[in-house]
Amino acid sequence: MTRWLTALLAAWLFHTPAIAADPAPVRLVIKPLLCVLDKTATTCSVTFDIRWKSTQPADYCLADSVTPDPLRCWQRSVTGDMKHERSFSDDFAFWLTPPAGGARLSEVKIEVLRVGSTDRRRERRTRHVWDVL
Amino acid sequence: MKNLLKIALLGLMAANASGQAPATDAGAETNALELPEERRWRLGAALGYGERSNPLIQSDDIPVVIDLDIAWFGERWFFDNGDLGVSLVDNRLFTTNLVARVNSDRTFFGKTNTRLVSVRMMAGGATGALADPATGETLQTPQPLKPPKRDYAVELGLETLFGGEWGQATFRAFHDASGTHDGYEISADYSYRFTRGRFSVAPMVGVTWKSSDLSNYYWGVHRDEDSATLQFYEPRGGLGWETGVRASYFLSKSVRFAVSANYERLQHSVAQSPLVVRDHVSGYFAGLGWQF
Repeated sequence: MTRWLTALLAAWLFHTPAIAADPAPVRLVIKPLLCVLDKTATTCSVTFDIRWKSTQPADYCLADSVTPDPLRCWQRSVTGDMKHERSFSDDFAFWLTPPAGGARLSEVKIEVLRVGSTDRRRERRTRHVWDVL
Repeated sequence: MKNLLKIALLGLMAANASGQAPATDAGAETNALELPEERRWRLGAALGYGERSNPLIQSDDIPVVIDLDIAWFGERWFFDNGDLGVSLVDNRLFTTNLVARVNSDRTFFGKTNTRLVSVRMMAGGATGALADPATGETLQTPQPLKPPKRDYAVELGLETLFGGEWGQATFRAFHDASGTHDGYEISADYSYRFTRGRFSVAPMVGVTWKSSDLSNYYWGVHRDEDSATLQFYEPRGGLGWETGVRASYFLSKSVRFAVSANYERLQHSVAQSPLVVRDHVSGYFAGLGWQF
């Protein structure tokens, strides 16, 4: 039992991208990363807490995959933070980029998860044949 | 059985005659809400630990370390974790499906063992002296006690699904199509899902009527099984109920921490069977779930 839980915890921790992404010179941290929608809801309305930190001062802009223009730019900075309100219904990404654009220095994906379905068949409660719950 | 098949065939004919594509209404609703199209396959697995109690004598509780979710949904046909179905009617108010499934009572008869006992198992949890069923003579030496064997039954039936902001409700009626128990089962359940942030919880309640034939096949002691250790017993049909809850905390779009618990009260006549040591079945599971 204990071995099972340890193995599961280890598997999840090694799956977490935050650990692997630590050595990057610029790190973007955004909360929340996930919006959970019930079947009756169509959009997420979220206030994002956006923070970034760099190992060296430079010009950075925050961009996303929805709007063509940067949301905000910082000059000769090593850190930055902002609040950002948005309504959305699909996955999208934020990233830090130089003012000229191009490179994505640090990227964060925002995900939308829909629980439930308008197809009632997908809401069936079944007791599986091959297990018991 | 014949009536059920007639109803199913009439339903199929009605759906075909009207040229109604069951997924059309649902699709229109989906478009109206501008929801993305769902994938036809739903594949998932949960790893963790759980157990389901076994009410059968001389049997072990059933451990659960993995819970698989394998389903496919087409326009009409679907496969949902062992259930094969076809949609007959799908409109704004309800969805009715014709479904073939495998009876779940057989699950309890998979992990049994034999033990030498000095008493005879009788109805209502009572025990008596070991006795030869043919002569009635009392036996002095311990005799083997082993639960009888039971087969899987393939059942065919109709289910109607309702759903809305008030929750989900299901009505089902199934009859044995494999000639295993020749009985039927009628059930109804209701569930409601609350979602707050990353947390989702769905309690449910349900009732099930199992016919005499079904109850007797799985939980009766048949004439040819009447032995020194098991007394003949023939349960009647009856009503059981269950309640449960499923909760999830979503760590990401595809990974969640899942917990479920379930309590099922056996119908009285089954609970009185010499084959039954508990009047209920309880189960729980906790683990990490992946949706692929």
